[in-house]
Amino acid sequence: MKVKVVTKILEANERIARENRRLFDNAALFVINLMSGPGAGKTSILEKTLTLKTGLRIGVIEGDIAGSDDAERIEKHGAPVVQINTGGACHLDANMIHEVLQDLPLQDLDLLFIENVGNLVCPAEFKVGEDIKVMVLSIAEGHDKPLKYPLMFQESSALLLNKIDLAPYLDVDINKIKKDALSLNPGLKIFEISCKTGEGLSAWTDWLKEKALRS
Amino acid sequence: MHELSIAQNVLEIVSEQCTRSGHTKIDSVNLRIGRASGIMPDALIFAFDAIKSDSIARDAVLNIEEIPVTGLCNDCSHSFIVQEEYILNCPACKGSSFQIRSGRELDIIDMEVS
Repeated sequence: MKVKVVTKILEANERIARENRRLFDNAALFVINLMSGPGAGKTSILEKTLTLKTGLRIGVIEGDIAGSDDAERIEKHGAPVVQINTGGACHLDANMIHEVLQDLPLQDLDLLFIENVGNLVCPAEFKVGEDIKVMVLSIAEGHDKPLKYPLMFQESSALLLNKIDLAPYLDVDINKIKKDALSLNPGLKIFEISCKTGEGLSAWTDWLKEKALRS
Repeated sequence: MHELSIAQNVLEIVSEQCTRSGHTKIDSVNLRIGRASGIMPDALIFAFDAIKSDSIARDAVLNIEEIPVTGLCNDCSHSFIVQEEYILNCPACKGSSFQIRSGRELDIIDMEVS
């Protein structure tokens, strides 16, 4: 006999994401799902953000396929950090986050970064309970990325265009990146930054403060 | 890219629903998968077949209806079907500001049980 199911395959993930969200709200914690391709500079941006005096109490969840290098880099800056190894999975899901929340002092934090696995496709599909998604694109990745990977640009609230100091050495059209990203997502906030020179980082942390303290 | 975790979700959901409806065997499962969902139907069937052997879905066939990507242009209001999964422009005005109307589905519709 036929049985109607009519269920979203990702419904189980979304249920756990809502539960995570409830825990974050109870702790008055603002949560950012930080996404990019591999090597765009997510961990460097977090290190810089921790170094600049934002006054925010920041915690980090590091997601990688393997290894704990990123968590060790964050730990040196004195921030509470938990490493998740996905063991091959190309993204973090709500349940992976749920299982490590007990290891973080949620009540003592203002802002939690969830650094997703380096990948421009899958992380945008799985909610983890975040308030907003922020993505990083290093300009060395090329100006064709917004139209090739539209979902991540559409889902993000802010885009950090990193390694802007490399512009003189690359044949990359930064205006095209910005134009295409904005046409996919007219509300997208774009920051041109360089972790190397520090350019643009104070505009990013000012925005972060405004977002995190309003929550 | 993450077909295995999607297959695990499907197996969990249909097994639970089958047991709840008082049946012991799943014969087939019908899914609707959007072409912009990032899921390749063949890889999903392969993953499902690999993990179903110890479950009540061990003989189940996975049927997948692929849903095309359709969009509505924000600039010229043209409705269109996209042939590529990811590179999206309005075919009428070439604009890249659009809303995705379909193509991101990842749904289980129904199943045949006995």
